[in-house]
Amino acid sequence: MAKRTSALETMPVSPLAQQTRGCLSLVAGATLVFLYLPIVFLVLFSFEQADTPGFPITGLTLHWYEKMLTDSAIHSALFNSVIVAVIVAILATTIGTMAAFPLVRGGIRFPGTARILFTLPIMIPGVLIGLGLLVFITLLGIKLGLHTVIAGHLVFTTPFVVLIVAARLQGFDRRLEWAAADLGASNRQTLRHIVLPLIAPAIVAGALLSVTLSIDEFVVTFFTIGPQLTLPLFIITQIKFGVTPEVNALATVILVVTLTVFGVGSFLLGTGRRFRRREPE
Amino acid sequence: MTADTASSADVAALAAPRPSLRRRIERAAPFLPGLTMLTLLFVIPMGIMLLFSFWRTNSNFDLVREWNLNNYARFFNQPTYIRTFIKTLVMASAVTAAGLAISLPFTYFLVRYVSRRFQRAVLLAVIVPFWTSYLLRVYAWQAILGEKGALNQFLMATGVIQQPSTLFVYNDLAVFVVLIYVYFPFAALALYAALEKFDFTQLNAAQDLGARPDQAFRHILLPQIRPGIITACIFVFIPILGEFLTPTLVGGASGSLIANLIVNFTRQGQYPEGAALAIVIAVFVTVLLIIFRRSLRVEDVVARG
Repeated sequence: MAKRTSALETMPVSPLAQQTRGCLSLVAGATLVFLYLPIVFLVLFSFEQADTPGFPITGLTLHWYEKMLTDSAIHSALFNSVIVAVIVAILATTIGTMAAFPLVRGGIRFPGTARILFTLPIMIPGVLIGLGLLVFITLLGIKLGLHTVIAGHLVFTTPFVVLIVAARLQGFDRRLEWAAADLGASNRQTLRHIVLPLIAPAIVAGALLSVTLSIDEFVVTFFTIGPQLTLPLFIITQIKFGVTPEVNALATVILVVTLTVFGVGSFLLGTGRRFRRREPE
Repeated sequence: MTADTASSADVAALAAPRPSLRRRIERAAPFLPGLTMLTLLFVIPMGIMLLFSFWRTNSNFDLVREWNLNNYARFFNQPTYIRTFIKTLVMASAVTAAGLAISLPFTYFLVRYVSRRFQRAVLLAVIVPFWTSYLLRVYAWQAILGEKGALNQFLMATGVIQQPSTLFVYNDLAVFVVLIYVYFPFAALALYAALEKFDFTQLNAAQDLGARPDQAFRHILLPQIRPGIITACIFVFIPILGEFLTPTLVGGASGSLIANLIVNFTRQGQYPEGAALAIVIAVFVTVLLIIFRRSLRVEDVVARG
């Protein structure tokens, strides 16, 4: 990288380069503002004293955060969301991690088709996944509830886990396993003591990602849920039937929690990089 | 045999003897739970949805398993449906174009002029809103465009308008802006991954050889980041075909897209009609994915730490 920059500096470039660069930096700055401005105002309005979020700001208060803490509807929605997210994360991480091994290392017929099958749920709009499940569930005569929400969330979280773990496995130095086998370790021992510890950061990152995806999911939940509410569904009923800054307070808390989980996840992915294979096999 | 092929043959020798049946089952077994899960919860439901689209409901909204094409015929005969569908396609194309127009200069600047260390930070700043709740990101725009939003406040403070206006929200323009906002990070990530691999000295070389900057850009840069551009387009265009939350929250009565119709049918218990519309979208999505499958880099967008 350093070499490239110096080459650029010494080489004669277009006379317009300076202006182009200036314009580009303006565009980039404006884009970042565009990305963050709505979030800034969303958070700001959570401290608003009046009953509806928005300008003019009449005064700052923590009232809505206190109200949120004692709101039993939020408690039950939060409880539902957490239950779903935890079960989804456990199942998706287990199923996804297992599936990543044969996908990367071979052993299955039609690996190309398998890869497409595991990419499709990420690409297909949630409306299709949700409606598909809904008609299937209706046909089977199963009652809608949190269990059907869990089923729906599994469809799109598992492929994310597969992608993340597969990426780590792809860069895995197989010679470490061969060395373990040479030293007399069984397959099971190698998996437990060599492979799993080394890909653990990716597995944990996959699990954390499943949690955030599940907690935030609106579309698939909307189609597959029964009479209960999860957090996103609670929020949308609030938005539709008289929004108060309480929604903004709840949104702010969700943002902070999601970001924390996300931060831990990407930190773990970063630490995993150290074990990358250094040369092609 | 050269030394090179010999060493790869050594490695191949480890796997060469055809593994026993038992060994093969052992290797493929971990795939079974995932395969079963996706078959049961994704493939079969999609198939059932296809069946539903050929059935009908009676006046009590009970399902009648009578094969017919009426759901599709209605879609193609009713101007409202066709109009909404075309509007969805236009909206998706417009958002994709605008998303590219913003994210290309953005990522170009990032990769070419920002130091490596700072690049990671800026990229993270782009990804972070991407992983926060989609619902909240759409809702956040009420704080800008709404009657009591920041835009009205700003315009009143600067004296452009006297009364808060409701014109900024609940229309197609609001949907357009919010959709760009929601899907920008996808485009930016895809383009970043492509530009990161590009050697910018090639542009200088092209200009040394007499190309104008725009020619160098068109003939040297664009062809090399083509997969990234296609990935960006796919990741913006396809989700918009199934987008119903943004129109619901900021689109108002006139802002409906095709997925809003699906949701309306579903709410009224008219599953076969909804399923037919969903199948139309599914066919569209599948065709796009098949056409562009070679250029699509899903990992670039979703598996970056």
